[in-house]
Amino acid sequence: MDVAKKLCFSLLLVVLLVHYGNSTTKKKETTMGDRVSQLMDWSSRKSVIRLNGDKFRMYLKSTPRNYSVVLMLTALQPQRQCAVCKQANDEFTIIANSWRYSNQFSNKLFFAMVDFDEGQDVFSSLKLNSAPVFIHFPAKGKPKKGDTMDIHRVGFAAEQLSKFIAERTDIQIRIFRPPNYSGTLALVLLFSLIAGLLYLKRNNLEFLYNKTSWAIAALSIIFAMTSGQMWNHIRGPPFMHKNQQGQVAYIHGSSQGQFIVETYIVIILNAAICVGMVLLNEAQHMKADAGKKRIMALIGLGTVAFFFSLLLSVFRSKYQGYPYSFLIK
Amino acid sequence: MADTGSKTDIRNSLTKPAGWLSLVTFAVLSLACVAGFSSRLFAVIRFESIIHEFDPWFNYRATHHMVATNFYDFLNWFDERAWYPLGRIVGGTVYPGLMVTSGSIHYVLSLLNIPVHIRDICVFLAPMFSGLTALATYFFTKELWTPGAGLFAACFIAIVPGYISRSVAGSYDNEGIAIFALMFTYYLWIKAVKTGAIFWGALTALSYFYMVSAWGGYVFIINLIPLHVFVLLLMGRFSRRIYVAYNTFYILGTILSMQVPFVGFQPLKTSEHMAAAGVFALLHAYAFLQYVQGVLTKSEFRYFFLFAIVAAAGLVFLAVVGLTWAGVVAPWSGRFYSLWDTGYAKIHIPIIASVSEHQPTTWVSFFFDLHILICVFPAGVWFCIKNINDERVFIVLYAVSAVYFAGVMVRLMLTLTPCVCVLAAIAFSKTFEIYLKDDTTKSNVEEEKQEKNSQYYDKVQPGKKQRIREDRPKDAEGIGMNIKSIIIICLLMMLMLFAVHCTWVTSNAYSSPSIVLASYGNDGTRNILDDFREAYYWLRQNTDDKARVMSWWDYGYQIAGMGNRTTLVDNNTWNNSHIAMVGKAMSSNETAAYDIMRLLDVNYVLVIFGGVIGYSGDDINKFLWMVRIAEGEHPRDIKESDYFTPQGEFRVDSSGSKTLLNCLMYKLSYYRFGELQLDFRTPPGYDRTRGVEIGNKNIKLTHLEEAYTTEHWLVRIYRVKDLSNRIEATFSDTKAKKPKVKYSRKTSKKKRGSLKHKPKVVPGKKPTKKTKTKSKKN
Repeated sequence: MDVAKKLCFSLLLVVLLVHYGNSTTKKKETTMGDRVSQLMDWSSRKSVIRLNGDKFRMYLKSTPRNYSVVLMLTALQPQRQCAVCKQANDEFTIIANSWRYSNQFSNKLFFAMVDFDEGQDVFSSLKLNSAPVFIHFPAKGKPKKGDTMDIHRVGFAAEQLSKFIAERTDIQIRIFRPPNYSGTLALVLLFSLIAGLLYLKRNNLEFLYNKTSWAIAALSIIFAMTSGQMWNHIRGPPFMHKNQQGQVAYIHGSSQGQFIVETYIVIILNAAICVGMVLLNEAQHMKADAGKKRIMALIGLGTVAFFFSLLLSVFRSKYQGYPYSFLIK
Repeated sequence: MADTGSKTDIRNSLTKPAGWLSLVTFAVLSLACVAGFSSRLFAVIRFESIIHEFDPWFNYRATHHMVATNFYDFLNWFDERAWYPLGRIVGGTVYPGLMVTSGSIHYVLSLLNIPVHIRDICVFLAPMFSGLTALATYFFTKELWTPGAGLFAACFIAIVPGYISRSVAGSYDNEGIAIFALMFTYYLWIKAVKTGAIFWGALTALSYFYMVSAWGGYVFIINLIPLHVFVLLLMGRFSRRIYVAYNTFYILGTILSMQVPFVGFQPLKTSEHMAAAGVFALLHAYAFLQYVQGVLTKSEFRYFFLFAIVAAAGLVFLAVVGLTWAGVVAPWSGRFYSLWDTGYAKIHIPIIASVSEHQPTTWVSFFFDLHILICVFPAGVWFCIKNINDERVFIVLYAVSAVYFAGVMVRLMLTLTPCVCVLAAIAFSKTFEIYLKDDTTKSNVEEEKQEKNSQYYDKVQPGKKQRIREDRPKDAEGIGMNIKSIIIICLLMMLMLFAVHCTWVTSNAYSSPSIVLASYGNDGTRNILDDFREAYYWLRQNTDDKARVMSWWDYGYQIAGMGNRTTLVDNNTWNNSHIAMVGKAMSSNETAAYDIMRLLDVNYVLVIFGGVIGYSGDDINKFLWMVRIAEGEHPRDIKESDYFTPQGEFRVDSSGSKTLLNCLMYKLSYYRFGELQLDFRTPPGYDRTRGVEIGNKNIKLTHLEEAYTTEHWLVRIYRVKDLSNRIEATFSDTKAKKPKVKYSRKTSKKKRGSLKHKPKVVPGKKPTKKTKTKSKKN
C-alpha cells in the first residue's frame, strides 16, 4: 500500500512539475509575493518541493526573500547507488511533513530538494561533490558557514534536523513520526502463524517435543550473540570495506571494530567447531562399522582443529601483538 | 586436567577405588584453587599490594570506615566528603556484602591474634573467592552432569580471563565475591529442585541473601530461577519438588533480600522483580488446578480450566497495569531498560553510554575472554538439550539469557563466563570420557559403581544407560587405540593453548593497577610512574582538611580514598545534574568557570594530563564526554559543535576551535606546557598523546594558580584564588564609581549636601544679624 501511495504521489508530482515548470519559466520576472504564493501552493500539495536548476536560481538565489528554505541536495536515482540518500530522504520527508501539518505552518520556511540528475548545475554552483547535503538558505543573504548541516557528526535524523533548523531559524518543529507498525505487525504475524500452525497440528503436537529443533534454535541465538550481531545492530558497521585500490577487506583491522561479513565468517567458524565436537561424540554411538566410526571421529577432530586454528589466526590478525597460533599462522 | 581421565585406569587397578577417586578429586580441586589464586597475583608481584582502579578505592574506604568504627555506624554513615555540598548516605546506598565479608575476616583473624592490615585482606579477597567459585562450580556441574565434568569446570573457571578480569588481586569490587555467591546459589537451587527438600530451598534463599547483599546483579538470579520454573511448567514437568523448592526460595529469599537497606522494598515494588511474583502466583494456580482436576470430571474440568486461565490472565494483567499506572510499581530503571531497547542509552543517558563497560561486545572480546570455550560451549548446550532433564533446562536457559546480556553489555560477560565454563566442561568431559576409555579391558565394575553412586531420579538417565549397554558389543570393534590417542593429544594441545592464552591475557591485559603505571625503556628497564599517588599524597599533606577538590568524576573515589579530601562528583554517578555542572565548568572559559566554581565552593581543581608521557586515558581525551553531559543539562551555554573544527574534527593544535582552545580544561591541561620541550626532534609544546603541537601556548590564568604538578605532569592541581580584595569598578551602578555631578564654583548651592541658607562667609566681614536670628528661632 505504501509503495502504491508513493507511486501515486510521484506520478502526481511529475504531472505537477511539468505543468508548473512550463508556467513558471514563461514569466521570468516575478515579484516576491508571487514567489511566496507559488511556494506556498507547492508546499501545500507536497511537503518537499522539488527543484531543478532554473527554479533553484529563481527561488533561492534571487533577492529579496523573506522566507527560509532548507534544501536537501541528493541523488535518489537508483543508478547513483546512494543508499544513504534514501534514508536521508525519508528523514527529510518526516520533518517536512511534521512542519507541513503542524499548526504553526507558515510561509516563513520551506523544504526543498534538488536531485543530482535534475540539477547538476546546482551542485556545481554550490561546489558540492557529495550527497546528501542539507543547506539552509536564510531569509537574508547567502548561506554562511554554519548553514550547512554537519551530517557526519550529528547524522541526519529528523530530530537533529529539527535542532539544526531551530538553531538557524528559531522555528521549533515538533517531529511527528508516523508510528512504525511494521515491528508490531511482524510480531503479530509471527504469533498468529505459530498459533495457526499449532491449531492445524493440534492432533499431532509431537514436533514440540523435538529436541533437535529446540537445540538448533538455542544454538542459533548463541551463535548470533557470540559473533557480535548485537554490536552490529547497535553500531551499524559497513558490510565490508573497499579501499581506493579496489581491494576488499572482510576483516576489520583492529580489535575495536568488526564488519558485518566478518561476523558471518565467525558464525560459520564457531558453528563448524561445534559440529566437529558433536561429531566426535556421535561417532561412538553411530550404528556403523568400525571404519566408518573412525572416519567420522577423524573428520570431527579435523573440523575442530582446523576451524579453531582458523579462528585463532583471524583473531591474531586483529589483535596486534598476540603471540600464539595453532596449526595455521 | 588429564587426571580426570586417568582416574578410570587407576580405579580399575586398585582395590579401593572410592578412596582414589576422592583423592584425585581433592587434588585437582586444590590445584585449581592454587592456580586460580596465583595467576591473579601478577599485579601484586610486579607492583605492590595495592588497591586498583576507581570503585575499589571507595569499597576500601568504606571497609576501612567499618573496621575503624562498627557495623551500625557504617550503616548510618553519612559521608560529607562526597558530592559536596550534598553528601552521600553511604549506608543506604551500598551493597554492604563486600565490606562485611572482609570486615568479618579481619575480625576473626584479630581474634586469633593474627595482625593483618585490612588493606591486605581487601587486596587478596577476590583471589581467595575465586577458589571458592571454583568449588561452587564443581558442585554445580557435578549435579548437572558428572563429577568429571565438574572438575573440568572448576579448572576452567579458575583461570578463565572473563572472570579474572574482575577478580585480580587488588581489584576489590563487588563482582569478586558475587560470582561465588551466584554459582553457589545456583548449585543450591539445582539441589533443591532435585531433592524437593525445604532444607535446600532455605539454603538457596540464604545464599541468595548473601548475593543480594553483595551485588546488584542479583536481579539476574531472581529472574532466571522463575524463568526456569515457568519453562518447567510449560514443559509439563511440574512436580511437588519444584513447588516446594520455589516457594521456600521465593518467600524466604524475598524477605531476606528486603533486609538489605539499599534494596528495601524494591522486591515488591519494581518491575525487575515482578516476574518472580508472577511465577509464584502461577505456580499456586497450577497446583490448585491440579487439585481441582482430581475432583472434577473431565468435561467439567475443561470448562473450568478455560475459565480459570482467562480470568487469571486478565486479572494479573490488569493488576500489573493498574499498579504501574498508580505508581506503586516502578517502571524499569534506565540501566535495565537499556538492556532491552538497545538504542535507548545512546540517545537518552549519556552518563551510561559514556562508560566503556556499557558498550556492546564484539566477537573479539568474546574470544579474548573465553578463547576455546566460546567455540565449544554450544556443543555442551546441544548435549544438554539432547539429554534434557529438570536441571539441564536451567543451564540451557542460563546460557541463552546470559549470552544475550553479554552481547548487549561488555561488563555482563562476567555472568556469562561461569555458564560457558560449565557447558564447555560438559562437552570436553563427554568427549574425553569416550576417547580415554580403553575398549579392550572393559569391566562391569565401573558401570555398577556409577549406577550406585548416582541416584538419578529422572527418566532420561536409565534410558541413556541402556543404550550405552546395547552399544557395548559393538564397542569392541570400536575406534581403536591409535586414533583415540591422536584425538586425545590433539584436544589436550588445544586445552594447553587455552591455559597459555589465559596466562598471557591475565598478565598483559588485566593486571594493571592503573594507579601505578609502568613504562619500559628500550633496554627493557622498567620505569614506574607513580604520579597519581604523588598528587593525592600532596593533597593529603598540603591542603586544608576541609578543602574541596573539583575533578572529573572518574577520580572522585581516588581523591577521597587516597587524598582524604572532599570531592564534588565521584564514580557513584547518581546525580547527573551535579556532574553536568562540573562538566560545564570544565568546558566554559575561565571567567564563566570561575563563577561556577565560586558557586560550588571549589578550592582546588585537579586534572589528569597525559601529554608528557603519552598517557591516553587523560582528561583531554575524555573531554568530549564532559561537553556532551554538560550539553544535556545546559544546552544554551554549551554546544558540542563549538568544540570541533569546521571539518568536524576534535583538534588541540592551532587549527582547533577557539572555544576549545580557551576552555578551562584546555588551559589547565596545557598551562606552561608551551615552554616545555620534551626532546630535540619535536617543537616545544608537543603533545605526545595526541601527537600534535598545541595550539594555545601562551596561557594566562587569572582566577586560578598552579599549585602542584607531578613529576611526569600526569596530575596537575590548581588552586582557585579567592576573590581579590578590591574589585576594579566596571559597572555603572557600583558605589565605587565617581559621582557624576561636577562642581563649579558659580553654582555652589547645587553642591551635594550643602545647606540651603548657609551663611556666606566673606573674608574680613562679620556675618549678618539676619541670618543669626533666624537660626536662633529655628
